[in-house]
Amino acid sequence: MKSRLRIIFPIGLFLALFLDGSLSNVFAGSLFKYPYASVLHLVLMWVIFAVFLDDRDELPVVAWSAFAGLVFDWFYTGIFGVYLIALPLVVYLCRQIKPWLDLNFLTLLMVYIINLTIVEAFVYVWYLISKIVTSNLADFAVYTLGPTIAVNLAIFVILYYPVRQLYLKVN
Amino acid sequence: MQKFFSNRKLVIAIIILIISFGLMSVSVAIRDRKSTPPLVQQFGNDVAGAVDRVVALPVNGLQGATNSVSDLLNTYQENQKLKKQVDQLAQAKVNAQTATAENKQLRKELKLNNALTDYTAVTANVLTRTPSSWMNQLVISKGATAGVKKDMPVMSQSGLIGRVVEVNQTNSKVELISNTSSSADKFAIQITNSAGKTVNGIVTGFDKTNNLIEMGSVTSTVKIKKGDKVITSGLGGLTPKGLYVGTVAQVKQDDYGLASEVEIKPAADLTDLTVVTVAEQ
Repeated sequence: MKSRLRIIFPIGLFLALFLDGSLSNVFAGSLFKYPYASVLHLVLMWVIFAVFLDDRDELPVVAWSAFAGLVFDWFYTGIFGVYLIALPLVVYLCRQIKPWLDLNFLTLLMVYIINLTIVEAFVYVWYLISKIVTSNLADFAVYTLGPTIAVNLAIFVILYYPVRQLYLKVN
Repeated sequence: MQKFFSNRKLVIAIIILIISFGLMSVSVAIRDRKSTPPLVQQFGNDVAGAVDRVVALPVNGLQGATNSVSDLLNTYQENQKLKKQVDQLAQAKVNAQTATAENKQLRKELKLNNALTDYTAVTANVLTRTPSSWMNQLVISKGATAGVKKDMPVMSQSGLIGRVVEVNQTNSKVELISNTSSSADKFAIQITNSAGKTVNGIVTGFDKTNNLIEMGSVTSTVKIKKGDKVITSGLGGLTPKGLYVGTVAQVKQDDYGLASEVEIKPAADLTDLTVVTVAEQ
């Protein structure tokens, strides 16, 4: 039984990775409607589902998320070391807080919001240091973080139950 | 919390941060060089691009299908409108053909073989868009094997959208004109007013709130009006002359009151891109 999840998880991870880009392009008109920019985070969502729904902690999520982050940097941005660190960092933090949480839909939703904020803030600060970003903190919060959280929460609400069913079935 | 910040973990965290920062600095530093990306990076991009096609093509196909349906609904009205335009177009086309032929002949007599306006076009599909609010980048489906080179300008059907920043063998990355990062290369553009006078300048920024291209530090006294056409000037580099950029939306004083700033409405819709053309001079 455990081998099935070990195959499904990486396939889903890379599907999510490439869907992030494709859907961003297809729905660019609504996602990147200036001045707002909502960034899809299907990869992050898939990783967080894996951390919290895999009861036995048998998936090598940290390694896979680092690899997905590397591919993200490589293929999408060309600037290494940003998502490569951000995604494993989030997985590590999730693993740390997992024992203290009573797992249900709402707590996972809260965790997801916090993690979205961490990743977006991390990427923002890193790009700010390397002078790729020039916008200030207020613009970031209003025009990027807000819409990003809104869009991703909607996707989360839609996908939570199907993915949970999947994990229950496979486990 | 004592355990969380133990010495060993702190050291590991710092080392990871340093590695991350180092990687980032190196990739930012070598980004603008002619020779980049290195072969390893190209190979990785080609592999990722090949996998991406499997995911991107069905999604893009779906988009194509929905677009077709919405097109179908507007067909009748559009047809009426287009019929009127077709008659005028035929005449304009003949005019343009004669002018091009004459232009070619005159250039031959002057022994001017390569004019700034000549370019060959490479058409490519848009595979994906960087899911990030900081990098307005596209990945397109043609690379070095199709003749794409770094810094070439990229157009949609209606106008200029950006330039190639990274070339791999089978795909390349395009930075959109809306990218405001300080490292972005800027286009040399030219405004022609109704009297035929021109003003040269470069794209200095992008106004995200109003979706306008900015051309700053204009000190010319030539009168520019709203609606004047803006094209690339072909000066300085790989961009051919005469690629359509957009129309003037507004002319205003810059922040210091010394020069004026022209705001340009881009002709291309930067959020609806499925097929693009790379212009090669």
